[in-house]
Amino acid sequence: MRKPSIPKRPSELALFVLARLVVAGAAALILVPLAFMLSASFMPASDIVSIPYRWIPDGFRWKNYLQALAGNDGSWLYARNVLNSLVVAGAVAATTVAISASVGYGFAKFRFRGRNLAFMAVMATMMIPFETVMVPLYLVVVRLGLQDSYLGLILPFMASAFGVFLMRQYLLGFPDDIVDAARIDGCSEWRIFRSVVLPSIGPASATLAVLAFRQQWDNLLWPLLVVQREEMKTIPAYIVKFAAEKSADEGAMMAVAVIASLPVFILFTTLSKYFLGGSAVFAAGKE
Amino acid sequence: MKRASGMEGKRARWGWVFVAPGLLFFSLFSWYPIVNAFVTSFTNRKLISLKAPKFVGLQNYVRVLSSEDFWNSARATAVFAVGAFVPLLLLSLLFAALIVSLRGWKRPAQMALYSPAVLSSVVAALIWLVVFDPRGLANQALNALFGTPGIDRRWLADATMAQISTIVVYVWKYVGYFTILFVTGMGKIPDAVNEAALIDGAGPFRRFFSITLPLIRPTTVLVSVMILIQCMKTFSTQYLFVQAGAPTGPIEVMTLAIYNTAMRDLAIGRASAMSMLLFAVMLLLSWLQLRASRGGEDAL
Repeated sequence: MRKPSIPKRPSELALFVLARLVVAGAAALILVPLAFMLSASFMPASDIVSIPYRWIPDGFRWKNYLQALAGNDGSWLYARNVLNSLVVAGAVAATTVAISASVGYGFAKFRFRGRNLAFMAVMATMMIPFETVMVPLYLVVVRLGLQDSYLGLILPFMASAFGVFLMRQYLLGFPDDIVDAARIDGCSEWRIFRSVVLPSIGPASATLAVLAFRQQWDNLLWPLLVVQREEMKTIPAYIVKFAAEKSADEGAMMAVAVIASLPVFILFTTLSKYFLGGSAVFAAGKE
Repeated sequence: MKRASGMEGKRARWGWVFVAPGLLFFSLFSWYPIVNAFVTSFTNRKLISLKAPKFVGLQNYVRVLSSEDFWNSARATAVFAVGAFVPLLLLSLLFAALIVSLRGWKRPAQMALYSPAVLSSVVAALIWLVVFDPRGLANQALNALFGTPGIDRRWLADATMAQISTIVVYVWKYVGYFTILFVTGMGKIPDAVNEAALIDGAGPFRRFFSITLPLIRPTTVLVSVMILIQCMKTFSTQYLFVQAGAPTGPIEVMTLAIYNTAMRDLAIGRASAMSMLLFAVMLLLSWLQLRASRGGEDAL
């Protein structure tokens, strides 16, 4: 790799300067609304719409966060809804990794009749948009009596075709010799999967877990369908209700947004490799 | 020999054991619902009704395709998809090309551009809801830029502006995501190719249009289709803006219309017909993508 040195040719110098200016400008512009969310979350509503906007709040107005958690009606449901989101997104991440690993392992390391057909059948489901099947899925959940329950929120997302694809690709590169050696040592198939295969798929699991967690953290449509009771709502549904109320205070709205974003931003800063890598892997899977 | 085949058979059964839970899942939650949606789209099924649904043939499709509302939401979806597609593709391509030319600071730049993609769609829409306030940042910034104090651009009140506002939210949220995909694609171009061109005296523009762009064609095709498919599935921003008082018509995209038809009008048969039409358009896009990417391989 060359060391960054200032180029001499005029066109290269222009690129050198322009690239830095444009990228820095774009990054700054993109970060402005995030900075706005943070600064406004500490301001009274009257300051948020003051002209010109003052970026540094006069003081830290924790009252916004209290109101965000208490809600406009003082029901304190937001904390419960955040917990619901954590439970649902966490459970979906865990089951997606577990089921995808098992199915991916079966497809990658075993030969059986109908394997290719089964694999194609799973891959084809990637083409089905959730919006097309949401009404039948809703009817299934109603028939099972699972409205307003965690299981109802989790059930349709417990496995993902992309996850199966990712795990299979990853395990195709896993040496057969290790599996065979374990077999010769008398390990049962189940134990081989649990103690030999599972521990070795860390990076793929992390990528998949992050992806699945984020998708459910973001999910609004499905909870709108299956949840009516306020205490079973997840964060996105709570936010819509909170923001639509006439008495909603802009400062409290931004506090709601900050609270909703903290967990994913903590994940992002600690696991950024899997976020950025995950996007690329996800795209590669669609290629 | 016989023993071996017996072991093979045992192994094969284990293969099924590992695969079975997944197959059961996909049958129940992907295959059954898509077949069900297809069948339901030919019935007059209602959400809350004691009467058994009747087969009505193509009536739902005829009714949907001849209704003003459907074409209105088809138009809203098309406006949104095209309006977001062009800036998303051009900006992410530009940012990626510039980021690749940076030697240091590549990763922080990518992380900064990507950070809005980390947020929930609803949170992104909520931030912009406040930014688009009549006295909010959006008006202030434009008025400072154009020297027009006190003008309200009616971001969420005017029909066209509401469409633009949803596009702004979307481009802001996803431009970093697609930039990363392009950076990954450009990373696969061997350094030697660019260095050879540099020695031959090719300038930055020449290198971009004659080397980078042709070589990342598969990525470009993939990203284009991903953007379009994602745009057709947009829901949260429009839903939040409508709930917060924006005019419904111009931003009632297809997903929102399906949701309203099923949950407000309780007309599941008609909602299924709409969702099958949406599915057909997306399948067409995916097919185009497959064809285009295959064609790309042949050309290389």
